[in-house]
Formats: sequence, C-alpha cells, structure tokens
Amino acid sequence: MINLLKPYNFKHALFLTSVITVLCTALFALCGSVLINSISKEQESELTELTEELKSQYEEHGLDWILDDLELDEMPIWNRSQSLERLDEHDNLFKVVQSGQLLLGSQLSFAAQETAKWQTLRFDSARQFELLTIRVDLDESLSVTILQPKSYESRFIAAAIWQVYLYFVTLFAISLFGLFIYIQVRDQVKRSSIDKQLLDIAKAPDSVRLSVPKHASGDRDLAKSINEMLDEITDLHGNMKTMSVGIAHDLKTPLSRVANRLQSMQHDINDPHLIETHLNHASNDLNAVISTFNNLVRLNSIESGQHKEKFVKLNLSELIYDLAQSYLPVFEDSGRTLEISTVKDVICFGDADLLSQLICNLLENALEYSNYDAQVWLRLQSHTGSALLQIGDNGPGIAKSDQPHVFERFYRADISRSKPGNGLGLSIVKAICQVHGAKLDLLPGQKGAVFNIEVPISTS
Amino acid sequence: MKVLIVEDDFDTADFIKRGLEQNGDTAHHVGTAQQGMVLATSEEFDVIIFDRLLPKMDGIDAVRILRGSNVVTPIIMLTALSETADRVSGLDAGADDYLVKPFDFSELYARLKALTRRTPLKQEALSLNIADLRLERTARKVSRGGQALDLNPKEYQILEYLMLNPGQLVTKTMLLEKVWGFNFDPKTSLVQTHVSRLRNKVDKPFDTELIKTIRGCGYIISDHD
Repeated sequence: MINLLKPYNFKHALFLTSVITVLCTALFALCGSVLINSISKEQESELTELTEELKSQYEEHGLDWILDDLELDEMPIWNRSQSLERLDEHDNLFKVVQSGQLLLGSQLSFAAQETAKWQTLRFDSARQFELLTIRVDLDESLSVTILQPKSYESRFIAAAIWQVYLYFVTLFAISLFGLFIYIQVRDQVKRSSIDKQLLDIAKAPDSVRLSVPKHASGDRDLAKSINEMLDEITDLHGNMKTMSVGIAHDLKTPLSRVANRLQSMQHDINDPHLIETHLNHASNDLNAVISTFNNLVRLNSIESGQHKEKFVKLNLSELIYDLAQSYLPVFEDSGRTLEISTVKDVICFGDADLLSQLICNLLENALEYSNYDAQVWLRLQSHTGSALLQIGDNGPGIAKSDQPHVFERFYRADISRSKPGNGLGLSIVKAICQVHGAKLDLLPGQKGAVFNIEVPISTS
Repeated sequence: MKVLIVEDDFDTADFIKRGLEQNGDTAHHVGTAQQGMVLATSEEFDVIIFDRLLPKMDGIDAVRILRGSNVVTPIIMLTALSETADRVSGLDAGADDYLVKPFDFSELYARLKALTRRTPLKQEALSLNIADLRLERTARKVSRGGQALDLNPKEYQILEYLMLNPGQLVTKTMLLEKVWGFNFDPKTSLVQTHVSRLRNKVDKPFDTELIKTIRGCGYIISDHD
C-alpha cells in the first residue's frame, strides 16, 4: 500500500485541493461581502430615516422633545476619553452645536455631511473606528451630528464568516486532500491489478481474460468490453492463421505440380505431344492459383464494404428467378432436380452482382456436394420487414463437426478435399450477407445442406 | 489491325505484342501514359490497349483526357484490380472494355476483335443474318431456313451476341459479362450448358453447323468451316 503513494499522487492531490479551496474561499468571500454590504446599506437608510424624524419633531415640538427622545435630556458632555469609551462599547456618539458652541455631546472634533456616510476616524489615537456619520441642521444655528458604530448584526456576521472560514480552510481542505489521496490510491490499486492481468493476457492471449467485477458497473463494463475486444482479436487472429495455412496449402499443391510439370517438360523436350500435355496441366494448375487469388481479392473487397456505395433498390424476386432459370438446365444435365418457388416483387437494397454471386455460390455448392440424383430447392418467401431465401438439398448434408466451420476461409470438409474449389465460396456468401445486413444460417438437423438467408426488404 | 499498347510492364507488353504479330497485326508499345497520349493523338490506330496502373499517371485519367480531346479509337483497359467498382470507373472514363490480369491471349484477342469490328450499323441493325439463320431483334424472333426456332431468353441473348460478332471468337467470360452481367466466374458449366442447348436448337436439326466451339477458348458463329 505504501509503495502506491508516489510523489506525484501528493502533488496531484495538493494541486486539486488548493484549486478547489481557493475557488471556494473566493465564493465564500464574495457572498460574505455582499451580505455585509447589504446590512451597512440598511443601517445607512435607518440613520437617514432617524435624522428626518428628528428634524420634523424639532419643528413640531422643539429641542427638548428630541433630546428626550434621544435620551440626552441630561445634556451630557463627553470628554475625549468618555467619547472613545462610548465608541468602544458600540454606543452612538452625538454632538449638538448651537451657533458654533457645543451644547451637549462629545468634545471630540469631527465633521459630517447631511447625508449618511461611512468614515474611518482616528481621533489622534492609534485606534481607528469605522463609523456611520450624518449631520442634521435643525435650524440656521442649531445642528446635531451623529456617529454610529457598526450595527450588532454586521459585527456578528463578519465574525461568523471569519470563524467559519477558518474551520473551512482547516477541516474542509484537509479532508479534501485526504479524499483525493484515497481516490488516487484506489485507482492505483485498480490500475496495477489491470496491469498485472494484461501482462498475463499478453503471455496467453487466446485463453486468459480480465476478471469481471461483480459490482461497480463502470469497471465491470470496461472489463467486459476489453474482454470482448480480446475475443474479437483472437477470432481475427484465428482466421488469419487458418487463412495463412489455407493460402500456403492451396498455393503449394498446384505450384508444386507446375514445378513437376516443368521438370517433366525438360525431360520430354523432344516429344511435342507430351510437351502439350504437360503445358495443359501446368496451365490448369496455374489457373487454379489465380482463381484462388481472385476470390481472395473479391472477398476482401466485399468485406471492406466498398460496394455499399453502389447499392440500389432492386427486385430480388426477378433476380433470383432469372438466375434459377439459368441454372435449371445445369441441374437437369447433372441428373438433379431444381425446384423454384419465389414470391413476386420482393424489393431490397443491394448490389445485383454480389447478390447473383451469393445465389450462384450456393447453387454451385449444391451441384458440387449433393447426391447425384438430389432434389435441390430455391425458395423466396416474404415476411414482414424481411424476405427469407432458402437454398437446400436433400442429402447427404454437412457433417455435424464441420457445420460450425463451413463459413471460415479455406475451410474444407474432408469430403470436399477431392473436389475442385478453394474453400472460399461460402466465405464469400457470408461476406455478401454481412454487407447486405442479411442473416445467414445453416439449418441444423437437416437431411441435406439447407441455407437460410433473411434479407431485409425495402418498403419505401 | 494496328494496335497501340500502353503498358509499363515489358513482359506483359512483349507477350501481347508477340501474340498480335503472330496473328499478322502490327503493334506499337510505349511505357508511359504521356507517350501513349502523344501517339494516340498523332497517329491512327484501330484499337488502344491501356494499362490501368502506370507510373506517374493513372490509366483512367489518361483515357479521360484522350476522350476529352476527341480521340474515338476503341480502348481496352488492362488491370490487376478486378473489382466491379474499378471496372465501372474504367468504363465511365471512356474505355470500351476492361480486362483483368492475368488473362489468356485468346481472351484479349477476342475482345480486341470485338472492339475493332464493331460498327454502328451492326449494333443497331434490326435483323442479323448468318447463312440461313435469321435473328429479328425487334420481334426477338429467330428462324433458320424459314423455320421458327423457340429459344429461351438466355439462349436468345447468347445467339444475338455471337451474331453481332460473326466469325470472331467470343469467350466464356465475354458471354458471362454480356449475357448474365456477371463480373465473377461461376465454377460450373453455366455457359457451356446454355450454348449446348442453343446448338441443339440452332444447329442439330440442320445440315451445317454454324456455332463452333474453340476448345478452352470460346465460341465462333460462322458459315465457313
């Protein structure tokens, strides 16, 4: 656990904590100052109201009345130290002046204007006071000046803000820092566990997978998708292996035969008849190699999806019917029967050349591998949203062990090894289905080979 | 036949040139698209063979430029790219035919012959005749010696294509392309079966055989032996 706490963890946590603390403090200060400011404003307006009331009462009842109202009827005179004492105790300070003479109130000298105004006053001492000042002229010779310290609410709230701020910095920042460290350490633990598992996977990529956590949905999804990706890569890798072996085998056999023929030609150089035989055989073998390559190129181009750009709306029923009619005599000549049943006007979105090849490959598969007197059928049925194309024969079918592999590249069941072909026909069928969004199935438990293809149909 | 070969692979060019010369035709070979365009605009040729992938310039662009400068000589493109999309772009650029490498010389030659013998009159002719065989294109009727023949649509299309190219080799691949519209090669004897059925109707009941099989190459329709 200790070695998980790296210096960069601290740096990172410290940085995040500082940023968040500074941001929160600024927000706090802003809110505090807005609050205090509004309280000060309220105090200003209250004082202004008070002076206006004093003025009107003076006009109505005279000076004695208002002195009584202000509890100054004893006409006190406060010297300097008494004045400062009052300010210290947050009491108001008054000064009533008549014709330049101090009638009552503080002996301190201070000036004020007729509007309420905050002033910072020093009174020649080291201490200074933040005071709200106002002067009210009752008549030409009589004026009252009021000094009011900050209100109780204002002082209380400022103190509270300061205290909360101190707690905030200490407790909040410390726990934030702790939280960040905890999160980082937890992530670090997770990461190093994944690191370890990935290293294990690298050693045995085909079998080892990440362990999927039971809870923590985010982590579970991540582990699942990594595992799915690995499965996909393993599949692709498997295909690649089968393909390399397939290519090597499919090329090696005919190429060795060509090499043998060339040697024989050297041997029989004086016999034109034999030379011609060798040439024909060599040429056939090379054609097989070229055909394998053409099919591979075709397969790759289908899988790349480049045909999709040229997809058009086409009448699948007509296309299938035409092809089936073309193949009827071929089946007849081979001794098999081909039964055709198609519904009319199934419209799909696709490439006519590819769909033709799809049907040709499946029909040729039937021609190649069904019994000599087999019944082969081609049916097109219409369903909602899709059409079902079925091409099947009544025997002998595909061995159960071969069934999962028939669509793999270069996969050839033992039974087909003796026949011409390159094991790409059904891979091409599968690729064409995929590019058309069609679902291809080899039906299990049938007497013969029955392929079902569900083609999405175009309705609009 | 005077042929211009634009091909950067000297082995392929030599293979075509020798084949043409053995058939009594003349062939000029150049190795770049630029030289090809200069020759094609300055000299008269019966047909041009243009490789698709040439150094510095795509054969397709060269063909487009030639067509843009009113060169109407038939052009056949050669390519190692076998895809339908490539074929379409070649034909769109103005090429008349498209052949995928590697190819049999007989296949190329049959296509060259089909391109050079093609005349506007032939393509639009209302009826085609060979000996006593007559094909009426508007009514889609075929008769021989005055006797009507009942052909299915594919048989009719095969016969029509053969009769548009009388005396010329028509290969299996050409029939797959023109009659079925396939750009792939089905493994079975699709073409052979249909041609054989066609011959049963067109030739078998009569004395002279008009459709001849050239083994391993294709078919010729002709009233000569």
